Amino acid sequence: MKVIRTHDLSKTYNHLVVPVKALVNVNLEISEGEFTAIVGPSGSGKTTLLNMLGGLDQPTSGKIFIDDTEITGMKESRLIDFRLRNIGFVFQSYNLIPVLTAIENVSFIMLLQNYPKDKMEKRARELLEQVGLADKADVRPQKLSGGQQQRVAVARALASNPRFVLADEPTANLDTQSAFNLLDIMLRLNREENITLLFSTHDQRVIDRARRVITLVDGSIVEDQHFEK
Amino acid sequence: MKTIIVISWRNVWRNKPRSLTILLAIAVGLWGGIFATSISAGMMKQRFTSSIETQVSHLQVHNPKFLKDDNIRYGILRADQIERVLAQDSSVKAFSSRTMVNGMIATATLTKGVRILGINPVQEAATTRLSTTVISGTYLTAGGRNPVLIGKKLADKLRLKPGSRIILTFTDVEGEIVSASFRVQGIIRTTHSMLDETQVYVRQRDLQTLTGDESIINEIAVLMHNIDQVNPAVEALRKQFPESEIRFWGQISPDLLYMNEMAGATMMVLLVIIMLALAFGLLNTMMMTVFERTRELGMLMDVGMNKVKVFSMILLETTFLTITGALAGGILSGITIYITSHTGIDFSGVGGNTLSDYGISAVVYPELFPGFAENIVLLVLLTSVLSALYPAMKALKLRPSEAIR
Repeated sequence: MKVIRTHDLSKTYNHLVVPVKALVNVNLEISEGEFTAIVGPSGSGKTTLLNMLGGLDQPTSGKIFIDDTEITGMKESRLIDFRLRNIGFVFQSYNLIPVLTAIENVSFIMLLQNYPKDKMEKRARELLEQVGLADKADVRPQKLSGGQQQRVAVARALASNPRFVLADEPTANLDTQSAFNLLDIMLRLNREENITLLFSTHDQRVIDRARRVITLVDGSIVEDQHFEK
Repeated sequence: MKTIIVISWRNVWRNKPRSLTILLAIAVGLWGGIFATSISAGMMKQRFTSSIETQVSHLQVHNPKFLKDDNIRYGILRADQIERVLAQDSSVKAFSSRTMVNGMIATATLTKGVRILGINPVQEAATTRLSTTVISGTYLTAGGRNPVLIGKKLADKLRLKPGSRIILTFTDVEGEIVSASFRVQGIIRTTHSMLDETQVYVRQRDLQTLTGDESIINEIAVLMHNIDQVNPAVEALRKQFPESEIRFWGQISPDLLYMNEMAGATMMVLLVIIMLALAFGLLNTMMMTVFERTRELGMLMDVGMNKVKVFSMILLETTFLTITGALAGGILSGITIYITSHTGIDFSGVGGNTLSDYGISAVVYPELFPGFAENIVLLVLLTSVLSALYPAMKALKLRPSEAIR
């Protein structure tokens, strides 16, 4: 089943007087349960593509479908609600809420979804356990290492049972060991929970483990490789 | 909503020095405003009470002609009937009938123009504070020949003391000039220094005898148990005695009425100005907060926090800051006002004695204007909402994809 489909997706930024084409006619399909890395040099359009797929930015032309719902042209308020219910985000610099503890950060998304309170805490604890941070539930982000913060971010991204998770350079700020730990967790979640994961990355460690690697150059897909792992 | 409240409250304390600075500014600003207002309110109340209890009373009865031409011959018609009605009215605390004439006071060396008030010492003592203002000698009594009470300022000017003899000269009801010798029985000092210099008090009986009309009464001053009873009493007397001019305190002394109506509003304007200045401080703090947290706010919108919640969060943060500061300022004000309302603040060291020219004692007892606390609460809430609007709107204008870059 196709979770994401794009049709002739283009994005042009009007930087001063010179238009910059960030994406050019991108046609892409992501199936449920895929573990996909989007790679390419800086400025190739990776982050722009993720922003478009996550409904954070609107394309100049083309269409995006999440399952069968077209999100291009969707009203801002509907889009926010759509993101809340369908998409999980993991950011390069973690972006946890500093005044909330790890478990409160994970619960936050469920709170926005009006999740029942009793189930919410149970699920938040389960998710923290899945990312190996059950003992850090009541610790605030500033007292966690970068790797631990990113794992909390992964737990938060999964809290709403999203259709897919978008991760923008998730290992960029992590040391090797932390990066491997994070990747192990994500791969396990992908395999065991059939979670669809889409990364933008420069990190060879991520690329080596991905089952599909899409290469972008100058806003266009130049290579789309599938691997059996 | 609970989580938004929790996040907002914790956000307030993310940058403790900055939050404490603005909290302190709000607390001190509000305390200053409220305390200054309470001093002003205390002064106004003192002036009001002093005017009512020493001179004006709650209502007065006159012959309308007396108000136009200050002549002793214009006595109140049916004054005895009015006195009977007042004596039977349970809402009347006390009343004092006065015979009044303008004249001259003379010693062996000096002469001065004065207003001579013939009073019934017992009635006057029940109606005004006159009997308590004697600082030397004694209050008027039934015994002795032609006693007079004079103010301290006048006594100093004429170099008089209890026992001194003076001559009072005035015209009687027929327009003839009458002179009589009086002996100073007491020297008074009220909070109205101007009156202390221009009024003397004699027994009504003595003055009536000298003026040639032993029943003439020019003024009846009435003190009610409660100020709310004034208007009904005025209406009732006007119906019963249409030939007399019945005026309530605000008509007798319009400046009192004006002062009562304007003082609260003026002080509220002062507080609005203070809060406006604080609003800019708050606005600055919240703008810094929004700019510093651009990435975080963007992330919140990315993961699905809608605009209403983002707006509410900024609004709540500002409200928490304002209310916490206002609460501290309110408590500080409450304690200060509570203590000083008992001890009083002595302004005599900073030229406060001149206050008595305006009917205010040098020792002021601060208090709050009625309804002031409710207005403060509204003002604080309004300030927080106004200060939050612009930063919250800025936060809403953040584009998620740009905010997290």
